Amino acid sequence: MEAYMTALSTLLQPANFLMMYLCCVIGCVLGAIPGLSGGLGITLILPMTFALNTELSFAMLLGMYVGGVSGSFVAAVLVGIPGSAASIGTCYDGYPMTKNGKAAKALSIGIIGSFIGTAVSIIVAMLCSGAIADVALMLGPWEYFSLCLMAITMVVGLSNGSIYKGLMAAFIGLWFSTVGADMVTNQLRFTFGNTNLYGGINMVCMLMGTFALQQVATSYAKGQQEMPEVDTSSLGGFGLTLKDFADNARTIIVSLLIGLGIGFLPGMGSGISNLIAYGQAKKMDKHPELFGTGYDPGIWATEVANNAGVGGALIPMISLGIPGDGTTVLLLSAMTIHGLQAGPMFIQQNPVLADLIFLAVLISAILIVITELLTKRWFPYLLKAPYHYLYSAILMICFMGAFSSSTSMFSVYLVLGFGLLGVVMDMFKIPMTPLMLAFILGGKIESYFRMGCSYAKGDLTSFITRPISLIFILIAVWSVVGPIITKQIKKRRSAKVQ
Amino acid sequence: MKKINRTYIMGAVCLALSAFIAWQTTTIPERLVSNEPGPKMFPFIAAGGIAVFAILSMIFDAPKEDKEDPKPYLDKAGWIRMGIIMAEAVLFTIGMEFIGFWITAMVGTFVFLWTLKGEKKVNFIVAILFSVGLASLGYFGFTRGFVIPLPKGVLWESLGIPMP
Repeated sequence: MEAYMTALSTLLQPANFLMMYLCCVIGCVLGAIPGLSGGLGITLILPMTFALNTELSFAMLLGMYVGGVSGSFVAAVLVGIPGSAASIGTCYDGYPMTKNGKAAKALSIGIIGSFIGTAVSIIVAMLCSGAIADVALMLGPWEYFSLCLMAITMVVGLSNGSIYKGLMAAFIGLWFSTVGADMVTNQLRFTFGNTNLYGGINMVCMLMGTFALQQVATSYAKGQQEMPEVDTSSLGGFGLTLKDFADNARTIIVSLLIGLGIGFLPGMGSGISNLIAYGQAKKMDKHPELFGTGYDPGIWATEVANNAGVGGALIPMISLGIPGDGTTVLLLSAMTIHGLQAGPMFIQQNPVLADLIFLAVLISAILIVITELLTKRWFPYLLKAPYHYLYSAILMICFMGAFSSSTSMFSVYLVLGFGLLGVVMDMFKIPMTPLMLAFILGGKIESYFRMGCSYAKGDLTSFITRPISLIFILIAVWSVVGPIITKQIKKRRSAKVQ
Repeated sequence: MKKINRTYIMGAVCLALSAFIAWQTTTIPERLVSNEPGPKMFPFIAAGGIAVFAILSMIFDAPKEDKEDPKPYLDKAGWIRMGIIMAEAVLFTIGMEFIGFWITAMVGTFVFLWTLKGEKKVNFIVAILFSVGLASLGYFGFTRGFVIPLPKGVLWESLGIPMP
């Protein structure tokens, strides 16, 4: 309790509170604009946090995270274009509701649904993380190796497109993680005599290049910078009654559980949970035929589920050091940059910071719901934000951030290299998330593997003779092989039917 | 002219990368610690993984690409736009090193903005004010506010001209 009070008083200090609020608002704006995201915001502010204390840094980063997830429904509701994959399902009923002249109601459901999802899930995360970390303390390097492996393969198995390309991306990420001095023998690997590479590849440069530069370059080259006009005639009023809320209580609870559970699993972020929750809500409803016509439960389900992923994804990040989704990969990088080691010992060693992380999410959610309700009328202006101003500012911040991450021009050249790599990967449809996750977890995987081998006196079978490690390895294998087998079975069945 | 399958190109590039990683790994000196796989193991695993999945992708993904006949990634105008924005990014980087961040950011942000606006109308004065304001805010915010250094420019240093 004392740690909570200390964390709360830190967050409520005027400077911290103001910066967190500012980041919430910026995150909301970035989340609302299709093509941009809270993740991009985290990437851009990360270098600014180098000079700040850890508490303020995390208040800002988490404000940006929550803002980004919460804001993504705006474009889905107003113009039928999801701000991110997390709001694809919201388009199905949100936009039709706007077209039916009930934009105010659609936005209110989005705002309240997002708040419920984030707030309840983070309370669950607060209660569960400690217990999960305690269990995790009983695991050895064998189990951790298998767990990290499972996280990567699950991301690969669930990412869009070819599973082979996803696995290839993961191995490229693994290779990137081996650059620099070897942690056991201190032997230099792939540094080519460049002293800037002795410490490994700079994480910030990779994020700046593959997130920011690639995003701006491909979006400009593809000419994706136009937004349709927004109908602003039906934005007045709250549009939502207590009865609406009570009528949809069952959908809200089920979607919350779906979002929380899916957010917890590595790789299964809000992009999947919102669609599963939508499908489940449709299945449970007495009038499934109304889905897709501007029906309330459709929006409640998707917005509660995608925001519930915030708490869900933070549980494995804090207690196991395994990121639950793409944005928590960035948060995990931020922890590493600030000299923190996420994992089972984190809560024990940094109780105040752990509580601060949870409380920052909760307070951000409260700030966002109040701000969004008060400013809902002006949401259409967010979608009119001129892309050329935003993108030119992003590019400038990207170069500034890259240099400041190591005060070396080499980092800026690395950003160019990673930007180019991002474009090439986009062209060949190679997913970026497995590469990033493998890069971030690569060091851990290698060290756990080598520790495991060393402790077992070179016996590699120790990874499969320990039951928990074996379970993780089996899940890892199934998450890759499963989709291929299922696809083949479906193919054969459809061939038989024909 | 027959279109070259994009997955085959990707596969060939990745196989070359894999061979390069494997060759480079053989040059890493081995310092053996007992019961420990050593520093070469993971790079070899990475090289092997890249090669195996590049081949599998060429076998299973490439025929699908041929069947679906996808649109080209970018048309000619798109590639020109990509070339322009990347060239500007390279020039921005070179500018940072030689004439420093502040001046480069002022000019560079304006050039980025002018390029990215495409056919849209942008007020020249507003664009200049935006570029100068943003660059100055970023530069002085970082160097004075956060006390994080940004490059001042080797040109000015060699000429002995002090920059703020």
